[in-house]
Order: sequence, then structure tokens, then C-alpha cells
Amino acid sequence: MSDKGQVDTIKDIHWLMDILQNIDVGLVVLDRNYEVQLWNAFMEGHSGVSPQLAKGKNLFSLFPDLDETWFKQKAEPVFQLKTRTFTIWEQRPYLFHFRNSRPITGRSKFMYQNTSIIPLESVTRQADHLCVIIYDVTDTAVGKIDISRANQTLSEIQVRDTLTGLTNKSAWLNVLENYYASQQQGCLLLLDMDHFRDLNHALSHQQCDEILRRIGTGLKTLGDEQHAARFGGEIFSVILAGKGADEAMQIAEKLRRSVLSLGKNSQYTISASIGVAERLDDTPSASEWLSNADKALYHAKESGRNRTSLFKR
Amino acid sequence: MSVAAIINEDQRDCYQELTNVAMGQAADRLARLLNAYVVLPIPKISVIENSDLNMALQGATSDSSVSAVCQGFIGAGISGEAMLMFNDASFASLASLMKYSGPLTQSAELELLMDTASVLIGACIHGIGDQLEIVFNQGHPVVLGQHCDMADLVAYGNNGWDKALAIEIHYTIEHVNIECELLLLFTEESVRALNKKIDYLLD
Repeated sequence: MSDKGQVDTIKDIHWLMDILQNIDVGLVVLDRNYEVQLWNAFMEGHSGVSPQLAKGKNLFSLFPDLDETWFKQKAEPVFQLKTRTFTIWEQRPYLFHFRNSRPITGRSKFMYQNTSIIPLESVTRQADHLCVIIYDVTDTAVGKIDISRANQTLSEIQVRDTLTGLTNKSAWLNVLENYYASQQQGCLLLLDMDHFRDLNHALSHQQCDEILRRIGTGLKTLGDEQHAARFGGEIFSVILAGKGADEAMQIAEKLRRSVLSLGKNSQYTISASIGVAERLDDTPSASEWLSNADKALYHAKESGRNRTSLFKR
Repeated sequence: MSVAAIINEDQRDCYQELTNVAMGQAADRLARLLNAYVVLPIPKISVIENSDLNMALQGATSDSSVSAVCQGFIGAGISGEAMLMFNDASFASLASLMKYSGPLTQSAELELLMDTASVLIGACIHGIGDQLEIVFNQGHPVVLGQHCDMADLVAYGNNGWDKALAIEIHYTIEHVNIECELLLLFTEESVRALNKKIDYLLD
């Protein structure tokens, strides 16, 4: 090689080294014993460990938090099979615990990382070193997490009543269909507030909302296996799973009394009428069952309100 | 599935041959990783249209619940994408072969999926690249979905392409219930460039 050629080569290498130092990804070269051979400026900047300090040190003693077993599971095939391996933030958020590179406006405290682990061959064509490339994927990860949360919220909204947190009508009707189809016994309960329109006039809307919210809370205490919903407006519906008529009527009475107690410090009477329908052997469909409960509710209203009626043919 | 004229019969045979060699190398790596005998399949070469991708995927495994990752690769102006799909029933056997202890949670399955994908995809595309003297650079793998319906995997589908060359490789492991499907897809522009390389080999 001519002198000029040699100078050019050295210049190229010099440039390459500069680029490796300044590139905005982490570069770590490890030997077969997982001792650090190269540690670029990205790694130094984020870890605070200088290349001089890192050089020749075992990676796992430098970073005791790093899961040695896990990392070796990814790295060993690189040495043995000379294949690249990859880790993504969905597996583990990070390999090295670094802080977010935007400490003020960043939304995550730490840096999410993807890594590539590539084999480095020696002159004998053996993979006796490997290079770990660390990518900062914090923004992508945070964005993706946000989207999946938003989707979850959307699907929640589809099935939930926002005021009470109970299931909404359409979702509850699905539950009812499935419950009916599963051939299980039980009772349906419909609870309708008495003269709610008058209350709405007399009290503020906030106060009325609060009443509905409290009824929702009361229904939730029945437990998850009793599927309660805000059926619409001031009507609530419950599938009392596995309950016979007697037990269902006791629950209904208790509910009716607790609604009544909501108005005990108020000048207005707060009360509800409740209809209960047991699933009978010949109840032909879910909608018929619901209509039976509705008939019982109508009966409770007709016979003076603030009472509980059981459907009878 | 319409087999459009983006490859001719000779080229197709050549792709088949290239794949045979590459997937043999990949199977060897997989066998060494799992310490088990990998049954060598016959790769299927076809040209699919964008709208057929779902169908191609559905034909890929018998199980309806699958987990999949994809990975883009590029070299010499030729780009493609590899997809690896696991039948969800495979994970238990895979965990025991790869000596993963602990409960088989969704994240443990993701580890298994990623580890296998790294080895299989890498070996396969480098195997093809070596024969054509192309160095393929792999992008980062992306999880397409876990425990999802095959049809949902590409529901948001990419619509920047019409036709693609599809290489399907169905791997099974002897004596255990592991089934996975590796799909290599090259878009039309890339196939044109690949064909040139192939023709050079054929001459």
C-alpha cells in the first residue's frame, strides 16, 4: 500500500470511529466471557460508566441488575449459531436501565429499548465476539401503550354506563341472552325509581345523578356473579344468578329498603318499585323472561309503588 | 390464487431450489437450538395478490389461534418481509425443548416466539442471500399478535403492494406437537430485481 493509501485508510478508520462514538444508538462489544471490549459514547452518556472503566469488565458485574440468564439465552445462539438475535421492548422494556433521554417532557421515566445482538467473526471465521446494539424506542413504546389503553377505554365505554360504572343496556342484554342460553336457573330483577321526574324537578340534576350513582354502588355490592346494569334512565336490571324466588325477593326487599333510606334526611321521598321474575322451566326465551320481570314491575307500580312484586302467571 | 407472470416456470424452480438449501440451513440451526429432529418440508412458491394474503395465512396452519412476528429485511435494493406463525398449541412443547422453566405466561410465550424467530428467520434469509450474493439486513421484529385469530393478524393490512412472491415453509418437529409456518414475502419491484439475479444463476 502506498503512503497516501495508508493515510486514506487511517482517515477512513478515524471517521468510522468518530461515527461509532457519536451515533445515537448504544454499541457494546463483548467477548466470549461477556467482558466489555467496546463501549461507545451513547453507553457512556446514559450509564455514566466511562469506556476506560468498562473495558475488560464483566458486563454482569458492571450491571448487576441485568438478568444474566435471560441475556445469555439471547446471546449464546449468537456465539454458537452465528445468528443475529433480537429483543424487543414488549419482552422486557429495557436491557440497561437508563433514564428517558428527555427527562422533562418524556412521559416515561426510563428508556424503552430494542436490541440487536450480532456475531462478530474473527479471522478464523469463529464468532468469538458479539456486538449488542441498543436502540432507544421510548417514543414508539409510549405511543403504542397509549393506543392500546385508548382502545381498552373505548371498548369499556361500549359496555359501561359512565355515570354508575355498571354494565349498559346493550351489553347486559347480551349477558342475559348468554345466561339464558346456558340453561342456568335464576331470577331477573327490574328496579325503577318512583316519581323520578318529580324528583328531578325538585332536586338538582347533580343530586339526582348522585342518587343513581349510589344505587349503582349498592348493586355492585351484590357481587360480580350477579350481573347488574343500568337498564336506562332510572331503571336498573339484575340477573340474580342461581337464586330462587324466595331468596331473590329477600334481596329485592333489601334493595328497596336501601333506596328508601337514601331519602331519610331529605324532605322528599326517594323510593323504588321492583319486579322479580324467576326463570321457570317453560320460560321460552330471554326476552320473555325479561317481559315477565317487567310485568311484575308494572304490578308493583300499580299496587301503590315502593314495593316488590314477584311475577305470577 | 392467480399465478401472475411475475415469475416464469424456470424461475420458480430456481426459487424452490434456493429455498430448499436455505431452509435446510435454517432447520439445522433450529435443530441445534432445540436439540430435536426437524422434519424438512417442501417449500411452496406462489404469487399472491394483496387480497389473498389472508387466505395464504389461513392455509398456513390448521389451528385458528396463533401468535406471529414479522421482520423486514433489505439488501441490494431488494426488500421483503418474513412472517413466523406459531400454532398456539406449540408453546408447551417448545418451552420444554428450550428448557424454559416457570409458568407459560403470555410473556414467556413471547420470549419463545422471539428466540425461535431470530434463529429461523435469520438463517433462512441469509441462506437465500448467500446463494444470490446479497447481504440482507434485518429490521427489528414486530409482534403481529398473540393468541389471535389468523384473520386478525393482517387486518390492518399494508396496501402499498398488489402482488407478491410468497415462499411458504411449514416446519414440524418430530415426535412433539410443534408446528410453525415461515412465510417470506417479496413485493413485485423486489421480485423484478431478484429475477435478474436468478436469471444470472440459470444462465
